[in-house]
Amino acid sequence: MVRGHCDGAHWHFRTQSSKIGCEVNVTIDRLLDVYALIERLGRDDTKVSKLCSVAQEFMAVDGAAIAILSDDESLVSLCASNEMANDLMNLELTIGEGPAFSASRGGANAAVNLLMSSAPHWEAYGPEAVALGARAAFGFPIRLGAIRFGALSLYRAAPGPLTPMQDADGYLLASVIGRVIVASQAGGAQEDLAGELNGASMLDFRVHQAAGMLAVQGSLSVKDALVLLRAHAFGAGYSLSNLADLIVSKSTYLDAESHAWIDDAVGASDEK
Amino acid sequence: MNENRESLLIATLVELADNLVDDYDLIDVLTGLSLRCVEAIDVDAAGVMLASPAGELQFVASSSESMTILELFQIQANEGPCVDCFRGGLAITNHALNESDDRWPHFTPRALAQGFRAVHCLPMRLRGRTIGALNLFRTHQGALTDDDVTVAQGLADVATIAILQYRSAIDSGVLNAQLSNALNSRIVIEQAKGMIRQSTGCEMDEAFSRLRAHARNHNVGLTDLATRVVERSIDSNDLDAIAKHL
Repeated sequence: MVRGHCDGAHWHFRTQSSKIGCEVNVTIDRLLDVYALIERLGRDDTKVSKLCSVAQEFMAVDGAAIAILSDDESLVSLCASNEMANDLMNLELTIGEGPAFSASRGGANAAVNLLMSSAPHWEAYGPEAVALGARAAFGFPIRLGAIRFGALSLYRAAPGPLTPMQDADGYLLASVIGRVIVASQAGGAQEDLAGELNGASMLDFRVHQAAGMLAVQGSLSVKDALVLLRAHAFGAGYSLSNLADLIVSKSTYLDAESHAWIDDAVGASDEK
Repeated sequence: MNENRESLLIATLVELADNLVDDYDLIDVLTGLSLRCVEAIDVDAAGVMLASPAGELQFVASSSESMTILELFQIQANEGPCVDCFRGGLAITNHALNESDDRWPHFTPRALAQGFRAVHCLPMRLRGRTIGALNLFRTHQGALTDDDVTVAQGLADVATIAILQYRSAIDSGVLNAQLSNALNSRIVIEQAKGMIRQSTGCEMDEAFSRLRAHARNHNVGLTDLATRVVERSIDSNDLDAIAKHL
């Protein structure tokens, strides 16, 4: 039971805004669970490599692995929670089909349940995955708008679908993993992750607009623009939303040649 | 119900029915629905917020893409009539906004600053689960008529059906997937708007108009087009600025 955490400082902003938030807002409770897990498991290692352990525990499955889409569109394993998950992900990467492929390539899609039925997808993957000990496998896309990061794969030794709650949790977790990946690529102190997950700034439409603008300013992919945005926000001591605001209002921009950040004096003074 | 509105509603229903039997873009349909709300009901702005599978409320479509209107939805990720309507699963009608009201300390001052004086919110319900809310704003106080409320709830129900019916690339009827896709579509559109604004020098709301106009003129989905803009398979400067009316 995590309800008591609602009073914690991390969640001040979101819980303060609604009197009934702690009682009914499942998201806050579950996000707190993820965050507590990341904290606990990630204390003496980089958090990214611990994400799969977090996923396995949070989702109450027997294995979890994360595959990341590289710049040339190929999937690369980021982490696996245990040997079975590692083998299953390697299998998938070798034969080129499975839950992570379906989830990440589908662009806009869903979790896919595998081995329980006649499974029209994954004819090659299915039997081999069963041989490795899985009876069900699920893939959740890790994405942020048009940015495709990759996919989270979950494995279970027992057949059957995820519960509706687990399914919802899978989406939540995939979105948290996306945010952690951006943060880790942007560098900066890991402690900052708390505020970041808390603030839900990735849900702020201005952040995505700003990433789009930056992508054009610096001739970058929107993904690289988002990472740059996050890095600069951290470095300059802005919140992501505040920096996004400055970019959208054209008070701050990225120099096309040098990739240096330029604060337009007139616009910037308007902001303050 | 006056005749004018009756014909408008009939036109809206026919248009929606047409849309929903074909392959359609959810954001486009919900934007159209929001626009129809403003025409058919005595309100000045309308928008749809949807809950992520895990229950985070996010903006997806509005009758206006002005930054100040979008801000009113953004705030409601945390507090506001949509949050209360969504959590309670009950309509909020004729809520007058005034400075002494501290029910929504962040939302109310911003809504007042935008000239709004009353707010309404209708839950989008599906088999006992509330999946989002239709939010209506009015620049004057006073009650909506019962007819208005009925029409608004009807449009909220149509919006719910549009989400349920929405077919993504992978044939999955799972509601969580539909919601996740709808919310992600909106992010794609925001990314594309930023690129269009920077490339063409237009304002954000105009960037959306261009996307929508081009999508309509070329019979492509709004989200697909936005994805192509972000992936640079279409240049922002090549988008049609104005919709060609048929």
